[in-house]
Amino acid sequence: MFLPVLIYVLIVYYWPMLGVRYAFYDYTLKKIEFVGLKHFTKMFSDADFWKAFINTLELSIIKLLITTGTAVIVSVFINEMANLFAKKVLQTVIYLPHFMSWTVTAAIFTLFLSTSSTGFVNETLKNWGWIKESIDFMHETALWRPVYYLVNIWKETGWGTVIFLATLSGINPELYEAADIDGATRLQKIWYVTVPELLNTIIIVLILNLAKVLNLFESVFVMYNNRVFEVSDVISTYIYRKTFMTAIPNYGYSTAVGLFKSIVGCALVLICNRASKKVRGHGII
Amino acid sequence: MAKRVEFAAGRKKKTDAFDIVNYIVFILIGLIVLVPIWKVVVDSFNAVGVYKFQLFPNEPTLDGYRTIIHTSKLYQPFVNSVVTTILGTLLGLVMSTLGGYVLSQYDMPGRNALAYFLLFTMIFSGGMIPEYLVMKQLGLVNKMWILVVKHGMNVYNLVLMRNFFEGIPGSLFEAAKIDGCSPMGIFFRIVLPLSKAALASIGLMFAVTVWNDYSTVQIYITNRDQVNFQYILRVMVMDGDTPTTAYKVSQSTLYYSAIVCAILPFMLLYPFLQKYFVKGVNVGAVKE
Repeated sequence: MFLPVLIYVLIVYYWPMLGVRYAFYDYTLKKIEFVGLKHFTKMFSDADFWKAFINTLELSIIKLLITTGTAVIVSVFINEMANLFAKKVLQTVIYLPHFMSWTVTAAIFTLFLSTSSTGFVNETLKNWGWIKESIDFMHETALWRPVYYLVNIWKETGWGTVIFLATLSGINPELYEAADIDGATRLQKIWYVTVPELLNTIIIVLILNLAKVLNLFESVFVMYNNRVFEVSDVISTYIYRKTFMTAIPNYGYSTAVGLFKSIVGCALVLICNRASKKVRGHGII
Repeated sequence: MAKRVEFAAGRKKKTDAFDIVNYIVFILIGLIVLVPIWKVVVDSFNAVGVYKFQLFPNEPTLDGYRTIIHTSKLYQPFVNSVVTTILGTLLGLVMSTLGGYVLSQYDMPGRNALAYFLLFTMIFSGGMIPEYLVMKQLGLVNKMWILVVKHGMNVYNLVLMRNFFEGIPGSLFEAAKIDGCSPMGIFFRIVLPLSKAALASIGLMFAVTVWNDYSTVQIYITNRDQVNFQYILRVMVMDGDTPTTAYKVSQSTLYYSAIVCAILPFMLLYPFLQKYFVKGVNVGAVKE
């Protein structure tokens, strides 16, 4: 019964792994030739590669911290809501954006932020007299990242609350009773009971997601453009451009970059697995 | 959960300032999420593009949707999306139930080896380019079936399925065995009927993944007959590459209608299946 799964996994996952050998070859449409570590030397001396690498780390780590932070705050508010109906409705609403694709999200915000006469944000700001000229949010190097983070907050905060709310629903009510007896106010109860109970979950969420920081791709891929490469190019988009946007692609070079990413990613997963075992007694994998 | 809720309700008899702040925060958060979506829906029915947020379209029209339905370059990708999503979900469910069931058999020899064989793929992958080269050899480049193949298997979902199967009481299997049921019989007559909820949530996870995928199409497919709807949406809105149509329709109406079409299937299902959408993640989260 396992046979279909076995064959499938072999073809789709393990066969490509054999392909990493091309990292040591020149692989173009014309020839395949062994070149040793040439691609790696080229890669490590390419400023664009390092920029992409640093961008990947910066974008995913800041994004992770911000969305986790907002998710924690929103969860605490949801947890404090006594009206069960309001709670349920808000949860339903805020989970919604998570199920929309990155393409849809990017399309919505591109249209809202556009400089055309139907651009929601620009025209509204002009109407209020806050700005004179339209701002090209998506094409401005200084603004692309803030926009990217805000879109991420909009899309992923709600979904991020799922795990925190699960933890909050498991807090022993006696803790709150004890706090009541000690005369604690609402805010004190939040600060001294709810937040400490969440700490462990926050650490776990951070660890789990740190393991995946290098995988950043689709969200950037749909939102970036030529004019903001400097602040938005990440490893995966770098590989994509070097392969599919180049006249004569060298598959060897892009495989080498991919291999580097896989190895660093693998190390990250193992480190995070270790950390996870320490924090909660069992690993990620 | 229930205990905590009762307690919470009993705890707060009077409404204090915090509750008022909380209601305001609730409304604000709700509006932040809903206003963009509402604007998209309203503007898709609006004949003339406006920047303002309106509760209802001031010049209602169906031209945007009519254009999509009648332009083959726009409806063909939609059909492709539907077909690949259905097939991908089915394949994904078959693979994760088969694999998950096998992995849940504790007494099976070699079970650990199989588990490591699967889990290794979660740590290390060949990467974008080797995968591309393999798919090229398999003849899947420029075919929409790449979406089905690429998402037809997900080790994480398989593990979720296994966790669910492990939760089924073992005495059920023993009883079936005593009654002379074969292992296959147990799978089809006992395990699957008991797993409807898990099948629904994992099926939805597959469906959402396949439907929403854009980068696979962008990487593997250049032939416009084979792309999915997400791709066409991105090309239209971001690259400004609108297919020529026989219809006179304002650009923004068409764009917003396309966005609505791209989220429509799940928006329709969402209110009814929300618990299944959310359950998947909770299976993994609250395991301990």
